[in-house]
Amino acid sequence: MSYLNALRLHFAGEFQANVSTVNNDPAHFHNAAFQSSYQLMQGDGMTPPNGWFNPEGDASFRLLGCRVTGAWTAAGAAAPSDPVFSCAIADSDVRVPAKLVDLDSEQQLVSEIWGLEVRIANARGETLVRGDFAPAAFADIWDRATGGGDGDIGAGATYQSVLQNLQWADVSASPVLSALRAAAGDGLLSIKFNFDGLNMDFKSPKFMCGRIVGTIGSATSSEPKHLVVGRQFMAQAAAGGNFFTPVGGINFCTAVVDAAAERIYLDLGNALSTASPGGPINNLGDLEVTVLVPAATPGGSGAKPVALGKIPATGAGGYVSDSDWYARSAGVVVLPLTAAQVQLAATAPLSITGAGTARIAEWTSGAFVRADRFVFRMSPGDRARIPVYAMQWGRPLSGVDVAVAFDPSQLQQTLSAPPYVGAGPTVAAPTAALAFSATVRTDGDGVALVDVLAGDPGTPRWFNGGADYGIDGQVYGVRPTFADTRTYSGPDNQWNFISFLIWSGFAPSTPPTWTDIQPILQQYANLYPVMNRFLNLADFDSVVGHGDLLRLAFGLDPADPNSMPVTRDLSPAKRDAILAWLKNPLAGPVPAPKPRLALEAAAVAPLIAGPPPPRGGKAAAAARRLILQVGRGAAS
Amino acid sequence: MILLQRALVAELTGPAVDVRKVRDSLQQAIALEHATIPPYLYALYSLAPGRNVEIAQIIQSVVLEEMLHMTLSSNVLNALGGTPRLDAPDFIPTYPGPLPGGVESDLMVHLAPFSMPQLQTFLKIEEPEHPLNFKAGLTAEETITIGQFYTAISDAIARLGNAAFVHPPRNQVGPDVMPNAIVVTDVATAQQAIKTIIDQGEGTSTSPDAGVGGGYAHYYRFMQIQKQRLLVATPGGVQPELDYAYQGAAVPFDPTGVYAAPTDPGAAPGYPAGSAQAFANDNFNYAYTCLLKALQALFSRDPGQQQFDRTLGLMMSLKGQAKAMMSGSPNPAVITGPSFQYQPTNPS
Repeated sequence: MSYLNALRLHFAGEFQANVSTVNNDPAHFHNAAFQSSYQLMQGDGMTPPNGWFNPEGDASFRLLGCRVTGAWTAAGAAAPSDPVFSCAIADSDVRVPAKLVDLDSEQQLVSEIWGLEVRIANARGETLVRGDFAPAAFADIWDRATGGGDGDIGAGATYQSVLQNLQWADVSASPVLSALRAAAGDGLLSIKFNFDGLNMDFKSPKFMCGRIVGTIGSATSSEPKHLVVGRQFMAQAAAGGNFFTPVGGINFCTAVVDAAAERIYLDLGNALSTASPGGPINNLGDLEVTVLVPAATPGGSGAKPVALGKIPATGAGGYVSDSDWYARSAGVVVLPLTAAQVQLAATAPLSITGAGTARIAEWTSGAFVRADRFVFRMSPGDRARIPVYAMQWGRPLSGVDVAVAFDPSQLQQTLSAPPYVGAGPTVAAPTAALAFSATVRTDGDGVALVDVLAGDPGTPRWFNGGADYGIDGQVYGVRPTFADTRTYSGPDNQWNFISFLIWSGFAPSTPPTWTDIQPILQQYANLYPVMNRFLNLADFDSVVGHGDLLRLAFGLDPADPNSMPVTRDLSPAKRDAILAWLKNPLAGPVPAPKPRLALEAAAVAPLIAGPPPPRGGKAAAAARRLILQVGRGAAS
Repeated sequence: MILLQRALVAELTGPAVDVRKVRDSLQQAIALEHATIPPYLYALYSLAPGRNVEIAQIIQSVVLEEMLHMTLSSNVLNALGGTPRLDAPDFIPTYPGPLPGGVESDLMVHLAPFSMPQLQTFLKIEEPEHPLNFKAGLTAEETITIGQFYTAISDAIARLGNAAFVHPPRNQVGPDVMPNAIVVTDVATAQQAIKTIIDQGEGTSTSPDAGVGGGYAHYYRFMQIQKQRLLVATPGGVQPELDYAYQGAAVPFDPTGVYAAPTDPGAAPGYPAGSAQAFANDNFNYAYTCLLKALQALFSRDPGQQQFDRTLGLMMSLKGQAKAMMSGSPNPAVITGPSFQYQPTNPS
């Protein structure tokens, strides 16, 4: 099943991702060197050194004005009279907004949505169904806009997850919603949406907003939550760009061939470039979906492309000519197949081709492997069992070996160069702090379980040679791939790896005192100026005076949208210490440093009259990935 | 002193009291307590961090007790078999406008940043009963004070007797969840809850002390801002008026520490569609409506700690949003005040 199926509805509107940006520079985590100007909105040339483009961000993630734009069942398009067409896709009406959260300052390319409740509401705002979006990270970020702004502004990315803890009202008036409810026997719905066109102009009413289009369908508990077991089109990387530029102009995408219904469902929602950020889809010509039927004799010549269907660029309903096509379909295309085509497609690679060089295809083996959930936070001693899904021709691939290895290449270690105020700590070391199965074999469902054990990385990311409090723990990248690279090979997706934040062991004095707690809270006070609206987290009296609220916020489950810290980057050990201290707020043996912000004046030496500001935090982070630094000889 | 329409309590008098009329009055009380909160919060939010700290503390302390009063009234209403109604467009008054049940010519309440003129509105809302304050053109027979309103409810409940209370107690927010809340199960606890509301709002007849919760009654707290001095005890006086004096620590007012938020942002024409102000205001109003829905759940279905915490989270979110809006974040050129309007979808 999943959203990529006959039964589904599409929606379109806007999102807001009001992320804070002081933490974009890892060197800002150095409490001892933090300067008040780091909390200021960026100015020309990043001078004085500042808090980048949204220092006051509160991490809120909102769905804004999202309307149902299309609805389908196995019988075809829903009747226009179905009240689902007057529905909104909204976020919670009984809780605070969800939060968009980076894993780490040195792994900013897997931002997760936490605490999001998604509702389908009628025209009066009354909820017909609500469910909790299982926290998920974006995938497949790429340079989507070909003009009108690059960096974060020009980026596109996608989220896939499930809605759980569903609460249904009476949906009997809507055949589509009734069908969804009937199909949600496992208490789940599948949801996938695409972002693009982020607005980074703080003078615009739409600051930190962008376009969202998406699809909601059915889900079962036996499926992966963040991945479709389907046909995976793999893009070859072109050189340059901020995030990823596909050689053939079409980004990673997925299809499902429904043999029984004789249809192919193809999700192009994050695959087609746009002329401008959040703008119209570029014309790649009619897109032909083709199956490459192998030669009669294995290895022989004469492989033959057979057309399965065409997605017109122009004419009625064309993806270019129809300006509503993207909003109405969320990029999901359904093509009818004949029985013969279904048979041909069952064991041969699919491709999509357009005009000129526009092209993307499955691996010739039709195989694909990826972890379902791919972002993990762990404490020393924690174990995780991570499902990795292997598939071939859209079906589970059983009995294959999956190799699992460290791959820090996409992590973002900072060089000491503008706009950064200093070098960022080394990433992905020590490797001894993360142990995992080196090879795992898929079961009958195509699932291999990677057992992971977190050790204690120590404090490798403290500053000043380890003397000064710094970034907690360490980030690691681990990539699962097919062990048999001769049989299973093709263009890799650089983003298909598992990111870990392994927290440092933490042993405060017993009972903990302000000496233990102050550096932790000072760092949050520094990095999140939004907290100044409530209290000074670095100040003993202010913290004690807000003890009740802090006990509440630090005591909540991280999935709760009210949970502190918003960033979800506090280890359970430190959280426990803070909670223990709040019950018994002792001053401590060592005089705590004075709150830095109170000390700092605006008289800060300019960094340099440097280059123009980077075009966003994600683009800046992507530019300092190790894989690029290796190319420049800057890191080993 | 704010004057309410006597009609509010007309049906509470007489020996045969209809419990439905008492419930109606309690719903009116909840609406009235709530109606004071947006103007108080608007003034509170308008004070820049670290500036006018004493004034902020005074306003905040009053707001917290207004929230307690909503809770107490809801507990009494639930105990009498009723259900508070907060999640409704007409639950929020229009600003500027009279308070719910108020006499229209008596007091127009505005949403305005803190100022000494706005303080006069607050003082008027909280002023204890004093017959000499009745306005010309309105006779005492047509109007009642808030204290008289609550006293009429309390008296009516006494006449209803313990038989009117539902058992087991339902939807009671207890003191374990909200400090100073009272679980209402009978006439005595209902009257205790109502006395807390009256005393915290008006003080007792002999002292400005509020009794429950400590501190002075609201009127005297606000008067400290007016007098620019804390009220302190001066024991030894021969009458109550001499036992206290505005001679404590200074309560200075620095007008430069107030954000330049607009007055009555919800009044026509409102913020232009598509503007940054409309965007921020929509987000705020959606969260405010979320809070009403969350309070509706707290007072009618789920009076436990977790639901209470959700409402607290929403209140913090509103504070953060309002502070950003009024302080011109992210764009210092755009100052926005939240209009406190019912908005079940975002955008409106």
